[in-house]
Amino acid sequence: MSDDPYGGMVRTLFTALDHAAACPGEPSGAASVYCEGQGVSLRLNAVVADGILETLSFRARGCPHVLAACEWLCRRLEGRPVAALGDVRPADIMQTLSVPVAKTGRILVLEDAVRLLAQRIAGPAAT
Amino acid sequence: MSDSGIYLDYAATTPVDPRVVETMLACMGEAGNFANPSALHAAGRASARVVEHAAGELARLINCDPRRLVWTSGATESNNLAIQGVLRAREHRGRHLITMPTEHKAVTDVAKALGREGWRVTWLEPEPGGLLPIERLDAAIDDDSQLVSIMFANNETGVVQDIAAIGRLCRERGVPFHVDAAQALGKIAIDVAALDVDLLSMTAHKIYGPQGIGALYVARCDDLSLEPLLFGGAQQGRLRPGTLPVHLIAGFGRAAAIAGGSLLDDYTHLWELRDRLWRGIESVPGVVRNGEADASYPGILNVSAGGLDGESLLLALEPLHVSTGSACNSQSGEPSAVLRSMGRSDELAESAIRFSFGRPTSKRDVDAAIESYRDAVTRLRGLLPEAA
Repeated sequence: MSDDPYGGMVRTLFTALDHAAACPGEPSGAASVYCEGQGVSLRLNAVVADGILETLSFRARGCPHVLAACEWLCRRLEGRPVAALGDVRPADIMQTLSVPVAKTGRILVLEDAVRLLAQRIAGPAAT
Repeated sequence: MSDSGIYLDYAATTPVDPRVVETMLACMGEAGNFANPSALHAAGRASARVVEHAAGELARLINCDPRRLVWTSGATESNNLAIQGVLRAREHRGRHLITMPTEHKAVTDVAKALGREGWRVTWLEPEPGGLLPIERLDAAIDDDSQLVSIMFANNETGVVQDIAAIGRLCRERGVPFHVDAAQALGKIAIDVAALDVDLLSMTAHKIYGPQGIGALYVARCDDLSLEPLLFGGAQQGRLRPGTLPVHLIAGFGRAAAIAGGSLLDDYTHLWELRDRLWRGIESVPGVVRNGEADASYPGILNVSAGGLDGESLLLALEPLHVSTGSACNSQSGEPSAVLRSMGRSDELAESAIRFSFGRPTSKRDVDAAIESYRDAVTRLRGLLPEAA
């Protein structure tokens, strides 16, 4: 059993937060949401084209697990249909990244942001 | 070090000095002074002489009679023995303890436990720099007060209290004074007689000695007695029974002797390193120094970078080995109680990093730390979201 509080995947993602970027502006089809709580604050941005999540990016303040989770989600969802946002499950994130149970609340903040993003894309802001 | 990291966590623990290892090895194995020092045979008496010699070395470091030292397993046990031992022995006189929220958990947790048992505990808040205003202590002492416990140098910030003034006041008011000197021993000149200290907690592993051995100085005073915490033998006047670990005690003594001989050189070295680090990072936007700069032990520099998550900062700083606040508290995930009681916001307390230096630390190590800290703070700041 490892004594490292972060699995190899978290360390890899933490050192390559390629999707940590500013909102790409307000082009047609862009959506951006902000959520905070549990010591976490994050903004998720999406550019949607033809129902596809063309570009996803984030900005976040949080622990390494949260930052890694943001990066992992962006990588996983980019290029997939918008409906894939509804498939995001906190349990999947926690299992994949070996997030400690004590940090569940932080991952739920990320889930809230994903849900909000889905609503924003479905609303009048998105086309 | 078992990896290629740069160790800047000497306030948590130090590597054992090779000269100390040599002394300890001489007590181990068939040819060494391994015998039980309580035994009456020649081998036992030889071990007892080793213990006596070590006590002399430690006593010289704090200017006390070696017979006033009680060996323990470390500063945590020393603090427990001092606080619980004195208070339980004086219970018939009163039930009031005075301490500070900036103390190590080995003191605050004891105080909280006693509070749950019905003891009255007064928590003296520090000034924003971490220092205790002496008038607050003066106002807190009353006829019920049985012990004042204030640490010498803070383990998170390095802030050094005015122990002489506190000791003088306690002596004037007739209240025993306990000092947790885990971070100060061997680093700051300590003279328990001149400082009016009645009880002083010490540990070996912060001064390049072994882990698992500490000591409590107990002043010779008709008015001061302690109840033991442990029972099971006649060793150490029954105050702390158990077979004495000769090799650990010998190592502690040697470490104390070395520290005494290099006190000034060590202090100067640490001062230069801390000054170099602070000058290298003070211009980073949003970085603040925690603790009174003019009253701090130079082996520790505690800084906060407002708005950042301390855990992410710690990971971004790898391969530097530093701590968020106290290493003893780093598992809790809570912002430092020490910094919060100094008036720091949760946001600043959560981003606190403690750098601590030691004899082996070089200027090159510090320069690497400067570069690493600047890069990490810049990188994590670049990730912050703008609020809604």
